Amino acid sequence: MSIRKVMVLSVLVVMITGGLWAAGQAEADDEVTLTVLWFNDGDESDVFMEAIEGYLEANPNVTVDLQLVPFQDYEQRLRLMIAGGTPPDLARVTNNHVAMFVDELLPLNGRVDDLDGVLAGFNDASIAFATGPEGDILALPTEATANGMIVNVDLFENAGIDILELSENWTWDQWHDAMVQVVEANPGLDYALGYDFSPHRWSTLLYEAGGRFLNETETAMNFVTPEAIDALEFFKMLHDEELVPASVWMGSENPQELFQAGLVASHIGGSWVINKYASDITDFEWAAVRMPRRQIRSSVAGGKFIASFEGAENEEAAIDLMLYFSEPEQNAYYCRETFNLSARTDVEIDYPRRTDDFARMAADLAVTPAITAEDWKSPDLNKIYSYIREQIVEGLLGNITMRQVAQNIHDEGNSFFQE
Amino acid sequence: MGRKKLKGSFDQTVAPLLFLAPNMLIFGLFIIVPAVSGLRIALYEWSILGDKEFVGLANFVELLDDPMFWRTFGNTVRYVLLVVPLLTVSALGMALLASENYPGVAWFRGAYYLPTMLSLIIVGITWRWILGDQLGIINYVLRTIGLSPVKWLTSPFNANVSVVFISVWMFTGFYMVMFIGGLQAIPEDLYSAASIDGASRSQIFWRIKLPLIRPTMLVVLVLGTINAFKAFELIYTLTKGGPGSSTKFLVQNVYQVAFEEDRLGYASAMAVMLMLAIGLLTAVQFRMNREYSNE
Repeated sequence: MSIRKVMVLSVLVVMITGGLWAAGQAEADDEVTLTVLWFNDGDESDVFMEAIEGYLEANPNVTVDLQLVPFQDYEQRLRLMIAGGTPPDLARVTNNHVAMFVDELLPLNGRVDDLDGVLAGFNDASIAFATGPEGDILALPTEATANGMIVNVDLFENAGIDILELSENWTWDQWHDAMVQVVEANPGLDYALGYDFSPHRWSTLLYEAGGRFLNETETAMNFVTPEAIDALEFFKMLHDEELVPASVWMGSENPQELFQAGLVASHIGGSWVINKYASDITDFEWAAVRMPRRQIRSSVAGGKFIASFEGAENEEAAIDLMLYFSEPEQNAYYCRETFNLSARTDVEIDYPRRTDDFARMAADLAVTPAITAEDWKSPDLNKIYSYIREQIVEGLLGNITMRQVAQNIHDEGNSFFQE
Repeated sequence: MGRKKLKGSFDQTVAPLLFLAPNMLIFGLFIIVPAVSGLRIALYEWSILGDKEFVGLANFVELLDDPMFWRTFGNTVRYVLLVVPLLTVSALGMALLASENYPGVAWFRGAYYLPTMLSLIIVGITWRWILGDQLGIINYVLRTIGLSPVKWLTSPFNANVSVVFISVWMFTGFYMVMFIGGLQAIPEDLYSAASIDGASRSQIFWRIKLPLIRPTMLVVLVLGTINAFKAFELIYTLTKGGPGSSTKFLVQNVYQVAFEEDRLGYASAMAVMLMLAIGLLTAVQFRMNREYSNE
């Protein structure tokens, strides 16, 4: 074969190859792979994929790359992805994350037709969490969470206490008395209450005492108040009287495990434990009860959301999927199957089990003041989360007074507000 | 007299450098570059998702007045001063036992090295279960036999003791292997000569073994000090720095400031101080060793 023929053939091969590649590329451009970052409390990722099956069938060019990350690594992973210029298209986030990533989340205003209509079906606290400081909607709520109390009904019955009736309308003093009685009446029971090792859960007492972390305009701390000190001192009293085991706040033992083992008569945690307890607890009767009242009765609102990010590769498809997943039908399915409270007010969920427990937590959520959301959406408050926990423990240990605990938290928080 | 120019074949001049090159590249990329970057970042106020602002030495000035920094620094120094001598003594003791020849010595060496191979996280979680007040195995046994349970992790003093004990338990095997190597390098005829001269076992240890394993001991002390200053995963899994901040060490403080408070610059300044502390202590150890050698 002559040189000329070889050259012509080579050029032809290159042109054909290039053409095929270009054609393949053009086809590939229609395909969308949505990166979805996710953490699980239970089986939410599986239920999410089931809930969006209809969307994927209607959009066969869309593929979801679901990346599961353990919750303790989640925030750091998000930060690194965003800092590295590769944010996920979508992510499941908590209300704390919305506060932390307020400048990185993709505002939906101007990107969604009739956003007001979309938001109309959600509860106010969830919308408050999802709203940025400029009024932009930064995420769509999926489930609402509520702090609350779960009790071992059998143990209280042994003490002659109908805890479901008592808790319909009770005070902190009545709660304290019931705790003392339940320990006395049950040999082998050392403690009345396991309390989650979490400032967010602790703050339930703060709001019930009529206090809050921030001032009215959420621009500074306002924590050295009689109400905050009342809540701190009540919490210390529970420890000093050994109604609450020291091993949770001072030893990192898991109060859920203590409750399931029958070592504590009640547990203050969150609505997300209802599903777990429904599966795990088989040897005693338990129930969620209404929170007791100090100045007010309150839960602490929280929630999970689905959000996209500035600079996400597939913004349009991500928003489409967010809207689909947030529709009443998909939201109701998701919340029912994952045993979560819905963030929507226009869905009625008939849970396969424990409907009354969800109803009681939802009732507390309904009377929860909006300041719980306003406080916990503050990025600066979230930065001192570990500090708050450490200081409360210093107070429980007796190293400093609870007034000093309040002062230290107040000062540390203000150091961030002033920056 | 002028310097001699290196002469030789490719094998004698360029080849060694080429063999070293991959390691130097990795060392440079993963050790030198991050260390220099850390020094640079310490001069900035920087949120990972925000803009950097040059603040000079302001972060270091702020450190001087930061009670949590000094608290965690003090906790770390106390931990180092307890763990390093205990580790050295226990590793040397284990090595003396393991360097003898008797049936089962290989099994003994393997058994004592085993904790070193475990994940720090797994060790922390497991010991948390063993030492838990309510759910822990030890307190369960104590209650069963009628004794009072012990607050292993809920008392600040006990939590510190537990942390030191678990650290020594975990890392003794690693340093034991180093000491075994050092002991086995001692020529046997020295022992024979000493025996002929009527030296006792104690005299052989103090006059022969101990002086001759001093270089190994220096390595153990330096490595042990560096690793103790950097302790984080095991402690955090075991106690989360609690109760309160009684077992919170410097690296945990750096982590929280960097990733929870989102202040990378300030966290880097703390890391620089940590590096200086380690460097100073290491220099002191080398200096003491040199003076001892000169005597």
